[in-house]
Amino acid sequence: MQVGYQFEPVQKEEVTHSQLVRYAGASGDFNPIHTVVPFAEEAGLGGVIAHGMLVKGFVGQAIGKWFSVKDLLKFSSRFKAMTRPGERITVKGRVIGEQDDRWLCEAAAVNEAGEVKVQSFFEIRK
Amino acid sequence: MATQLEEKIGMKLESYTFRVEKGKIRELALAIGDLKDEYLKGESLPPTFPTVIEFWGGKGSSANLLGLNVKKVLHGEQTYEYLKEIKPEDEITVHSVVEDAYTKAKMNFVIIKKEFFNQQGELVLLCRQTVIERH
Repeated sequence: MQVGYQFEPVQKEEVTHSQLVRYAGASGDFNPIHTVVPFAEEAGLGGVIAHGMLVKGFVGQAIGKWFSVKDLLKFSSRFKAMTRPGERITVKGRVIGEQDDRWLCEAAAVNEAGEVKVQSFFEIRK
Repeated sequence: MATQLEEKIGMKLESYTFRVEKGKIRELALAIGDLKDEYLKGESLPPTFPTVIEFWGGKGSSANLLGLNVKKVLHGEQTYEYLKEIKPEDEITVHSVVEDAYTKAKMNFVIIKKEFFNQQGELVLLCRQTVIERH
């Protein structure tokens, strides 16, 4: 491991409406902007959008492939763009720095057009 | 509007307790499509599991508790600091407080800090989230 090292990207299946319903039940976030199309349209979103935490969950999945999650010390995310059913997300990441006891890394969940949905920083115990 | 918003600073939200059920770990892993055997067996937690504690442990979303318009609410930022391992079957109690609230670029920002304690009273996780309400 060294600064600049790039992790193997993790490709997710296409996000589906059913997945958003399933994630609502699993997480307990039943805000209808994620599951009820007429409500989301009325809210001016042009249809349902994925829970930001679902996409952060994709990043968490990638971290679990790159490291042991037991070594995860900090995981921060900025929700930059909405994700909609039909989009296919890939999580990319790399090491951007290090301290005595930890690696500082970044990861991004992007769609096929390269639009960044979630930008994350995370710290891993060495 | 701005004054009302700033009055929320220091406001304590509901406290609640949630047991980390193995079935909920499996359910979250399946919903994300993060199919690690240890998650499916409920033996360890995916990094975003604390969100399950927040939503299923609490009675309502933070947006509701803060009196924000859910049609206008978006999640801006979210940070977890993992201080100690949360284990399956732990009883986690969460205390939340509004750390900051301000208006910028025709949007309201509310920063909520949540402290997660286990059944031994140890601080196991810190969560900070920014909730954005569009005007």
